[in-house]
Amino acid sequence: MRPTLRFPLIVATSLALGTLAFAEYEHSLDLSALPEVGTVPTKDGLAAWDNIHTVLSHPRCLNCHVGADNVPLWGTAETPDRIHGMAINAGESRIGAETLSCNACHQTSTRPNTTHHAAPHTGMDWRLAPVEFQWTDRSSAEICAQMRDPARNGGRDAAGLIDHILHDAELIGFITWSFEPGAGRDPAPGNLQAHLEDMAIWTAAGMPCPEQ
Amino acid sequence: MDLTINGSSHTVDLPDDMPLLWALRDGLNITSVKYGCGIAQCGACTVHIDGLAVRSCQVALADVWGEITTIEGLGTPDVLHAVQEAWIQHQVPQCGYCQSGQIMQAADLLARNPEPTDEDIDAAMSGNLCRCGTYPRIRAAVHAAASVMREA
Repeated sequence: MRPTLRFPLIVATSLALGTLAFAEYEHSLDLSALPEVGTVPTKDGLAAWDNIHTVLSHPRCLNCHVGADNVPLWGTAETPDRIHGMAINAGESRIGAETLSCNACHQTSTRPNTTHHAAPHTGMDWRLAPVEFQWTDRSSAEICAQMRDPARNGGRDAAGLIDHILHDAELIGFITWSFEPGAGRDPAPGNLQAHLEDMAIWTAAGMPCPEQ
Repeated sequence: MDLTINGSSHTVDLPDDMPLLWALRDGLNITSVKYGCGIAQCGACTVHIDGLAVRSCQVALADVWGEITTIEGLGTPDVLHAVQEAWIQHQVPQCGYCQSGQIMQAADLLARNPEPTDEDIDAAMSGNLCRCGTYPRIRAAVHAAASVMREA
């Protein structure tokens, strides 16, 4: 049995922008202002990347985009390197399948997160991001190169990166949750709509990356 | 709301967002499931849902996705689960408050790893606190139960 969604989903999208054709997901995001591919100058794409990097490098995101030690973080702005309590190691499975499943504590639920210090939940099964998506100990240029490389971004092209956000919005997944984590947790900077727009600008500009 | 607990059907009339812990304890008087912290920090409330160890304080009643097993359903007084048997043989509990959660977590571990190392046990059991500090006995009992289960 799964709960009902936290808020009404009001938009079903099947939209083509330039050469991008987005899959149909239900969400409340506004896609009307997203740029078409090839219409965005590089400098604007780089500015959008800076915004994206500001989000990605926030502890709310870094905490689960960790490296091959498979140790999630409980980082905050003040203590970004603080490791997850209880000696948690998510294993090579990145879901704790080897020893203690992430979802022993982190449930899959779209209910609001209201209890301080409890294990947060989202509408997606809790997990670490794949190890090739490591963002900790990486520069902006390194993360950018990762993000545009299908071998290190889950096989996604430009449309796939946008699709990733829309799919997450439908499920109330990790990206959506990060901007509204609830129960006193620091949110990722900005909001999901702005993050979507930055991603659309960056991809429409050809995914430019900063110099090292 | 209908729940299946230890193979029996139960109907409860409780709020959707009530933690399963309280539905079990206060709604159904299954008090083997212990309240320790209410925020998934101690493991005292661990039960199985479809065989997976979960902290019942973190599961909203309406989010329960499968059959619930509490320690009463793991074994019976006549036919104990190997982990329960090992707990007795090694006299693991001191105050005993955490033990039902410990045993449910250990049973989950052995279901997925029949021959855990000390490190595996520590990793799997690290979310189950014992304020009496019985960790060496917990580890010994898990090894003993694993051995019995492998021979069965």
